[in-house]
Amino acid sequence: MSVNRDVTVLQEARVSFCGNTAVLLDAEGPLTLATQERIWRLSDTARQWEGVVDTQPGMNSLLVVVDPKTADLEALAARLGETWPAVPSGRIEGRLLEVGVVYGGEGGQDLPEVAAFHKCTPADVAKLHAAPEYTIFAPGVTAGFGYLFGMDPRLFTPRRQVPVMRALGGGVSIAGIQSNLGKPYVEGSAKAAPTGWYMIGRAPDVPSPFDFDKTPPNLVSLGDRIRFRVDRVEA
Amino acid sequence: MIEILETPPLNTMQDLGRVGYRQHGIGRGGVMDRLALAAGNALLGNEEGEAGLEFQLFPVRLRFTKETAFAVTGADCEARLSGRRLPAWWATRAEAGDELVLSSPRKEMRAYLTIAGGFDVPKVLGSRSTHARDSFGGYHGRALLAGDVLQSRAPEPFLFRDGAGVGATPAAEAVAAATCEDLAEGETVVRAIPAAEYQTFDEASRNALCRTPWKVTARSNRQGYALSGTPLRRNALLEMRSHAIVPGVIQVPPSGQPLIQLAEANSAGGYPKIGVVIEADLWRIGQLPPGGTLRFVWCSLAEARAAEEAAEAYLARLRRLAGYCRSAIA
Repeated sequence: MSVNRDVTVLQEARVSFCGNTAVLLDAEGPLTLATQERIWRLSDTARQWEGVVDTQPGMNSLLVVVDPKTADLEALAARLGETWPAVPSGRIEGRLLEVGVVYGGEGGQDLPEVAAFHKCTPADVAKLHAAPEYTIFAPGVTAGFGYLFGMDPRLFTPRRQVPVMRALGGGVSIAGIQSNLGKPYVEGSAKAAPTGWYMIGRAPDVPSPFDFDKTPPNLVSLGDRIRFRVDRVEA
Repeated sequence: MIEILETPPLNTMQDLGRVGYRQHGIGRGGVMDRLALAAGNALLGNEEGEAGLEFQLFPVRLRFTKETAFAVTGADCEARLSGRRLPAWWATRAEAGDELVLSSPRKEMRAYLTIAGGFDVPKVLGSRSTHARDSFGGYHGRALLAGDVLQSRAPEPFLFRDGAGVGATPAAEAVAAATCEDLAEGETVVRAIPAAEYQTFDEASRNALCRTPWKVTARSNRQGYALSGTPLRRNALLEMRSHAIVPGVIQVPPSGQPLIQLAEANSAGGYPKIGVVIEADLWRIGQLPPGGTLRFVWCSLAEARAAEEAAEAYLARLRRLAGYCRSAIA
C-alpha cells in the first residue's frame, strides 16, 4: 500500500457542473459533523427549489439534480453558492443502532492486511474500529446504511489502487477515513462486487436497511448513529 | 399478453428511471437509450416514459398471446414477426399467436420492445425500471427468463391507418451527432462538460481526453463502460471523499483508464471526475458495443441545451407524424 493521507481540502466552497443534469457543491474545510449538518439542511431546502428534481448529500458535498429540458444550471449554481454560507448548523439527534461484528475471518479477510499496514494486531484494529459511534453522513452507493463518519483517524487506510472482488452482505469495510456497513445479502442478487475498500469484518445479524414492505422503507436516516460491537476477532 | 420463449440473460424491463430517491442512495437507473424508448412509445401513442423491454443480448424470441400493437426501436437488429421482416424502428400490430424474433444487431447494442398501453407491472418507487443490483422494480425485480408471461395494460383502442404500421427515422439518422477532428469511420462522438477535478489533471491528459480515441472494453455494461486508451494523469494523487455521481460521469481511477458511469451507476462514487457526458448524448454510448471507439468533445451548457432541444424536436415531430398514422376506435 502506498501511503497517501492527503485528502483534497478546499479553502472555499466550490460549485461545479455535473454535465447538464446536476450541480455539485463541495464544502470548504475538513469533514465535520457541523458542516455535514448544514449539508443535510441545504439538501432539504434545495429539493424544494423550482426545477430541482432530486438532491443527494455526499461526504462534505451536495449534488442537486435538475431536469435538463427546463433547467437554468448557471442560475442554480449561483443560487447554491450564495445560499451555502448562510445555511445554519444544528444538531439532529438521530437514533442509535448497535450492530455485532465478527472481525476478520471469512468476509473480513482484509483485516490482517490492514493490521500489517498500521503495524498493530487484528484485535487492535477491531478495538479501534468499534470504539467510536459512527454517524450516517451520506447515502451510500445504493440503498443501505450510507457513508459513516466517526472512524478513528489512526485507521486511515488509502483506497486500493486496483479494485478486488469482495462478497456482498453485511460486510464491514474501511477506506480512507470512512467506514461502511453492508446490508444483508439479497437472495438472487450479485454475490460479490469489485471494490477498492478493505473488508475487516462481517455483521451476521445486520438488519435490512431498506424494506419495501415497510412504510417508510428505510430503517435509518441521515444523522442516525451506528455502534459496532466486537463479538469476536477471528484469525 | 407476451410470453418470452427464448432470451439470453441480462434483458430487463426499463423506463426512464426513478427520480427523487437519492436520499436513500437509489440512483436513476432506467434505459440506456432514452431516445429509442421514447420513439417506440411515440409510435404507439404511449406516454414518453412508458416502460419497455430492453434487449442487450440476442437472439430473443417471444409470442403474442393476444392482438397487440407494438414497436421495435433501438439497435439495428433484424426483427421478424412470424417470419415477416419488419422495417427498422417500426410499429405494427401482432395477431394472437404471432412470434417475434430479434437477432443480433450488426453495429449497435440495445433494442427496445414497447407495447400500446404499456406493461402491467406495479411501479416501485415511482418507476417500472428493473433495479438489478437490489432486485426490485420491473418484472419481479429481475432479468427476463424464458417462460415469463407479461401482461399489458389496456390501451385506448386504435388502428394504424396503413395496415402495415408506422415507422420512425432512427435517431442516429435524424439527430445530428457532434463531430471532432480526424474522426474515423465508425467512431461515436459524444459531448462532455468539464467536471470538478478537470483542473487537477495535467495539461497533456486534459488534451488527450478529447484528442485521442477510446476503446470500449469488454468490462462494459449497464452500470458503466471501462475505456482503454492513453492513460490520463493527475498532477497529484489525492484521496477523494465519496460523493454523489450522475450517469455520464467520466471518472479516472488511479490506472488512468477512464470509466463512464451509465444508467445503472451507483448513486455515489469516489474517483476524480474529468468531465460528464451531456444527457442528450448518453444514448449514443448505450448503442456502442464493446470493441467500439468513443471520442469526446468538450461543449458548453448552451450547446448541451441545444442538443437537448434537438432531441426533443425529433420526438415532437415523431409524435405528430405517428398521431396522423393512427385512428382511434370509438
